Amino acid sequence: MSTRRSRLELIFDILLAIQNRGGQIKPTHLMYKSNLSHKLLNSYLDELIQKELVKVEEEFLKKRKATSKTVVITDKGLNFLAEFRRMREFTDAFGL
Amino acid sequence: MFRPYYTPVWFNGWDIVFEGIIVLIALLIAAYSWKAYKLNKENRFAYFSLALLLIALGLGLKIITGSITYFGPARDAALETLRPLAGEHLEFTHLLYRTGFFLQMVPVLGALLLIFFVSQKPRDRLHKYYELSQIALFVYLILLISVVSNFKYFVFYLTSAVLLGLITLNYYKNYLNSNQNPNAFRVMSAFLIMLFANIFFIFVFLVENFYVIAEVLLLVGFLVLLYTYYKITRIKNTPLKK
Repeated sequence: MSTRRSRLELIFDILLAIQNRGGQIKPTHLMYKSNLSHKLLNSYLDELIQKELVKVEEEFLKKRKATSKTVVITDKGLNFLAEFRRMREFTDAFGL
Repeated sequence: MFRPYYTPVWFNGWDIVFEGIIVLIALLIAAYSWKAYKLNKENRFAYFSLALLLIALGLGLKIITGSITYFGPARDAALETLRPLAGEHLEFTHLLYRTGFFLQMVPVLGALLLIFFVSQKPRDRLHKYYELSQIALFVYLILLISVVSNFKYFVFYLTSAVLLGLITLNYYKNYLNSNQNPNAFRVMSAFLIMLFANIFFIFVFLVENFYVIAEVLLLVGFLVLLYTYYKITRIKNTPLKK
């Protein structure tokens, strides 16, 4: 049985899902990829936007006459991912 | 040049250089562990950082007292400073060497005990031999206290060897549990080398050149830790499918 993910691991999973999609992803896809509820994902996204780890880009679609949102990972977000990977490797190596 | 107990004269000073390098490595890894603690606020990182700081402190104090005892002018200056307090019949070098050794012993043993507890995985606490290993360790430490009243230098190295043996065992289990992660193997190897170093330290009274072998092995152990640190901090940010 898998254990509950920590807050930091959830943030890592969200950022990783965006990175694995080439740096940008639709919020609905992100919800499935990161395995989070809509409410929880939104609360985490607000935090990530506030910390400038991701940004949301809006595009007006003429055909559907609606705006489409895309979540984009920032350079700061990519740096965080790299730092988290190093920290996880440190944890595994030193048995912490 | 002063000749400390069981250490070859030609090696005096080199041990200080070796220990200086070890202090720098310990501080480097302690700083990274502290950085990890600041990121995720998990106490185990802070404890690991503290353990490495204690090693650096212990060896740092040994370096200071070693430098004074090895080099005449520094020894004479310290002797003049202490003479009003300790009187004319002060066996200065002997006292200082013992003091340095004690100041090294306390933080290093504390650090090893801390690393042992930190490297013990919570799931191991459910294991039937966990209680036994803890009891064995505490029985050993109680016996040690009774021996310490008739203090012999090798008791410190024997205790360190026991703790390093237990730490190596924890890291071996960690290596197996981490899908044979190469960095986990390096950490286990580093502590195994340090264990061998401590075994050589125990028998320095038989062959004084064992001191040189032990110091070299200790340095090699920490260099392996440094190489592991280097490998970890060089991890690039490549997309990784979970």
